[in-house]
Amino acid sequence: MTRSPSIRRHSPSRLAPGAFLACLAWALAGSLAPTVAAEGESAAARFRDQVEPILADHCYGCHGNGLKKGNVTLDDFATDEAILGRKELWNSVLKNVRSGLMPPAGKPRPSSEEMKTLEEWIKRDAFALDPADPDPGRVTLRRLNRVEYRNTIRDLMGIDFRTDEEFPADDTGYGFDNVGDVLSVSPLLLEKYMQAAETIVATAVPTVARVVSAKTISSSEFRLVEGQGPGDRMSTYRAAKSSAKVRVEKAGAYKLAIDLGTRGEFNFDPGRARVTLKLDDRELMDAEFGWGEGRKTTREFALDLPIGEHTLLFEVSPLTPVEKKQTNVEFRIFGGRLEGPLAESEWVRPENFARFFGDRDDPKTSEGRREFAREVLARFAANAYRRPVGPRTLDRLMRIAEEAFSEPGKNFAQGVGQAMVAVIASPRFLFRIEGAEPIASTKGFVQVDEFALASRLSYFLWSTMPDDELIALAGRHELRANLQGQVKRMLADPRSDQLVRNFTGQWLQSRDFESFPIQARVILGADKLPRMKDDEVFALKRAMKQETEAYFGHMLREDRPILELVDGDYAFVNASLAKLYGIPGVSGGEVRKVSLPEGSPRGGMLTQAGVLMVTSNPGRTSAVKRGNFLLENILGTPTPPPPPDIPALEEALKGIKDREPTQREVMAVHRAEALCAACHNRMDPLGLAFENFNALGIWRGTEKEQPIDASGKLVTGREFKDARELKQILKAEYKLDIYRCLTEKMLTYALGRGPEYQDVETIDQVVDRIERDGGKLSSLVYGLIESSPFQRRREPAALAVSGPKTPEPGARP
Amino acid sequence: MSPNDESIARQARLASSRRHFLRGLGAAIALPAFESVIPRGINTAVAAAARGLGTTSTGAPLRMAVLYVPNGVNQQTWWPTGEGSDFVLNKTMEPLEALKDKLQVFGGLDHLNATGGKDGPGDHARASSTFLTGVRIKKTAGADIHAGVSVDQLIAQKIGHQTRFPSLELTCDGVRKSGGCDSGYSCAYDFNMSWRTPTSPTAPEPNPRLVFERLFGTGAPGERRKNFAKRLGQQKSILDFVLDDARDLQGSMATRDKAKLDEYLTSVREIESRIQRAESLGEGADPAVDAPAGIPAAHRDHIRLMCDMMALAFQTDSTRVATLIFAHDGSNRAFPEIGIPEGHHFLSHHQSKAERLEKVAQIDLFYLQEYARFLQKLENTPDVDGRSVLHNSMVIYGGGNGDGNRHNHDNLPFILAGAGGGSLTPGRFVQAGAKPMSNLFLGIIDRFGIDGVERFGDSTGRYDAI
Repeated sequence: MTRSPSIRRHSPSRLAPGAFLACLAWALAGSLAPTVAAEGESAAARFRDQVEPILADHCYGCHGNGLKKGNVTLDDFATDEAILGRKELWNSVLKNVRSGLMPPAGKPRPSSEEMKTLEEWIKRDAFALDPADPDPGRVTLRRLNRVEYRNTIRDLMGIDFRTDEEFPADDTGYGFDNVGDVLSVSPLLLEKYMQAAETIVATAVPTVARVVSAKTISSSEFRLVEGQGPGDRMSTYRAAKSSAKVRVEKAGAYKLAIDLGTRGEFNFDPGRARVTLKLDDRELMDAEFGWGEGRKTTREFALDLPIGEHTLLFEVSPLTPVEKKQTNVEFRIFGGRLEGPLAESEWVRPENFARFFGDRDDPKTSEGRREFAREVLARFAANAYRRPVGPRTLDRLMRIAEEAFSEPGKNFAQGVGQAMVAVIASPRFLFRIEGAEPIASTKGFVQVDEFALASRLSYFLWSTMPDDELIALAGRHELRANLQGQVKRMLADPRSDQLVRNFTGQWLQSRDFESFPIQARVILGADKLPRMKDDEVFALKRAMKQETEAYFGHMLREDRPILELVDGDYAFVNASLAKLYGIPGVSGGEVRKVSLPEGSPRGGMLTQAGVLMVTSNPGRTSAVKRGNFLLENILGTPTPPPPPDIPALEEALKGIKDREPTQREVMAVHRAEALCAACHNRMDPLGLAFENFNALGIWRGTEKEQPIDASGKLVTGREFKDARELKQILKAEYKLDIYRCLTEKMLTYALGRGPEYQDVETIDQVVDRIERDGGKLSSLVYGLIESSPFQRRREPAALAVSGPKTPEPGARP
Repeated sequence: MSPNDESIARQARLASSRRHFLRGLGAAIALPAFESVIPRGINTAVAAAARGLGTTSTGAPLRMAVLYVPNGVNQQTWWPTGEGSDFVLNKTMEPLEALKDKLQVFGGLDHLNATGGKDGPGDHARASSTFLTGVRIKKTAGADIHAGVSVDQLIAQKIGHQTRFPSLELTCDGVRKSGGCDSGYSCAYDFNMSWRTPTSPTAPEPNPRLVFERLFGTGAPGERRKNFAKRLGQQKSILDFVLDDARDLQGSMATRDKAKLDEYLTSVREIESRIQRAESLGEGADPAVDAPAGIPAAHRDHIRLMCDMMALAFQTDSTRVATLIFAHDGSNRAFPEIGIPEGHHFLSHHQSKAERLEKVAQIDLFYLQEYARFLQKLENTPDVDGRSVLHNSMVIYGGGNGDGNRHNHDNLPFILAGAGGGSLTPGRFVQAGAKPMSNLFLGIIDRFGIDGVERFGDSTGRYDAI
């Protein structure tokens, strides 16, 4: 049966009021609470009146009247409920129509009024979203991932615990490793958490209240006063003198410990030298060093030092004639420590003591101990749990501490430490437990409490626990009132590097740059370029990562337009990247911002060497990977992966004799196959546009001695001649797609869950805001933070009420 | 010391301790040093084993290991010719020649639940997580992952109480790829093969040092028993607290959150019972070898260390179930050590090109060499009953993709080595016909003396004649 949609479509009475009706329906839904059936009826009626004509006009040619191309049909609904129940179907209709994928190129597109009608119906009727009270969606309890755990421990305990070595990698979902649903806990992981807690407390928490003051003398403090080279390594074949200065503030007895040794090649070398050490004028050591003394040894000296600056002087005198030298043997200074004054009256607080105990010695009475332990643990547990703790938890912690410090041979700090171990192994530390405000919205959604908000902010922007300022504001219930200012402060803080590193690292895969198994020799060889040493390749990969991170970091801090992702007139390079990009006048290993020369093909993230590399195969470029990367991460419209049973494409390439076909020639054959064309027509032109960049991101004019043709045609029919023109098209015509894609990615990262249909409202609001504010990146960040999913929860959280009145969680009445 | 020196020094240390370790391990396995690594009490534990649960007919421990090879194999060079006991190994399996009578190659096993069906693309994710579960995994990028209990975990849950560790899950894929994994599937499916429950994969351990320390304790030989016991003691002291804490929270949580916390609670209980077990089993082993230094740079060294860890764990009866992922399905690792600069996944889509097929065959060979080395090690290790550890084991080698180009999930590569304590008939190439691999898993479950498992995954019957 065919409808006559053209008449309906132009019926003026049905055009504008669509949205109005939808709003009215929601107003009624709120006040009168009509039955679901009644709601369903009107939404279904609107479907038939307003939406179906549009679909009939534009979609049913393939997806209706019995046709179901791609297994999609839009007119086969048994009941009204079925129309509204197919949320995922409507979500993909929305996505495909908005991105212009549907209707396909060459077919007439819906008018903007029709688009609006369709969008409104899907959002208001099919998804039942209320723009004034948008559904925040669900968030699953999130475990700290490896990065967050490491950062949190650093801020809480003042030490660096290498979670990347000690914990297994976290599973990822939706492209990110902070997605609650897939961050699971296994017995192995819990065992590791418990072990980690022990190690961390043993390393970080001082067990005594006073220690001898100590000063480290690093190897780099030694400077040559005679001879050449670094001051901490001297050949046994050359006379040299090296010295360092140490300042002593208090006169008294000191202990000096210095780590010395030699380093040589694997094979024996006869080189030996006499080495003397003097402190000021006094000789402390006179010894011989040679190949055999390879291991590090520590020499200790007791000294009596007056106040003032003292000089340590090493003197190396060769004992073996240089003619006998086979490889080399170096005398090495690994560094040292000066401890003192040794007298007990001069002892000081150990490092990190104040962090946990303030400035107070162990109490003498057991009463005093209990009181102090409780005070210390209350503060510590509140920090670790990112919210106040109740008396029950404290009682339990006190039991552990008292039991431990009452044991023979254990002291006060060890007992408190044992309780701290329990805190760090607790689910309240490992998971982000959220509380909620008591008042719900019309639709029953609740705001997360301010402590939870503080954690949401800090783990989003810093990948670590909230700092004192955030917690203090939350404690006074003033965080929401000061939200903008706090976000601004947090973005300006160096900790926001973590957002850059972890978000960009996964979104653009810059985390993988350094470990990417690029086969530089093969790639350089294919393009007849000079070889690079392995360590040069590694340094280059590191610079690539720094560039991509620095670029996004710059965009974030300087609040640059989002479109600079696609194109810009600057880059972040060091000497080796500058060479790769053909930018003159850059030296040194640090990446820094430079203006791109006139006519440079670089600019934006798509032509950064790291992105070009990570979207290649290890030994050659891949137009498919590059094209799909752009579709997936910039435009938000990924293609499905290849089907099984890909036919051999060699037959068609037989016309090319006596040389290997180029990437473009291979791909052209590909697209001729009907099976492949649908997706490859979308990916390949985008990927081939970047064929001028080899798998290391180096510009080239030819591939396999054939000139590179980077021109192409988008599925819309829009033509471009190279990557530069493609970028201009993306900027001019795909702006909203780019905004939406980045919003979806960052929403996933910020919330720790994938975007779902009900997020359409939030995403649209954020995209509108970005558009209104001239495309600035800050609009995205603020937009997300102020959005319903970031601020609220669907259901009351674990802890029902917030603020200082918080009862003991889970306490039974 | 500058960072550069530090790294050089570290590499030197790594290299030396690795050599040390490998050498030491060889020594430990040679008799009579062997006696010293058998934990006291093992014989009594064996005697007490009820109805041969997890034991062979002689009462020796029965073990199972699974080694996963990704991306399918070159079909032409993989499959043997001939049939039954009269068969000739193909090119790829040459490293197994000396062990031919210790293993069975099975043709025809399938995992139809790994095919696209309604779920469409995502064969790599499905290959990995269907391989030991036999179920259709839920297509989700993360919201609600769901597979099934894997065969290794099922066995571990039944027999694991007899050893200090119910099972080991290992991987040589320590570094995860950023971004998505496989077309709409969470990476949890790609990088995990063992599933404790349908919603909880067990993250495998990539670091051989940590495997060793977990099995035997930290420190030098001689100190480890003490350190192991100390670790247990420390764990006990905090378990009560964290259990109370978790229970407090659970009462007031939303369902979904509760499920997450449940994982935590279950883990607490498992650790508790493990501690009790360790105490009741008496002192553990302390192998006279240095612990490995960490994750080596070369893939081959990494695989070897992991295989050594499994061999040690079996030899000392620390566990009877272990799985090792060489690399996740879909892995695009290059193999510079054998002169292959292209990625494995890229090559596996060989489009029948001779050059790519040859390289796939070389990668297949690379992995089989390490399998052969592992088997030989188990074969050279005498067990408590005088047979070899290999004799008393079932060591599976296989993958969830048949041909990387076709992404098919029938006629999957599958080798079963060892005699299962005499319950298997090795030395055969078996054309099993089109059969669910799950049927064969039931045959394995039976051999562990586990009763009452009527079905597994997509099983249609028991494949017993193995």
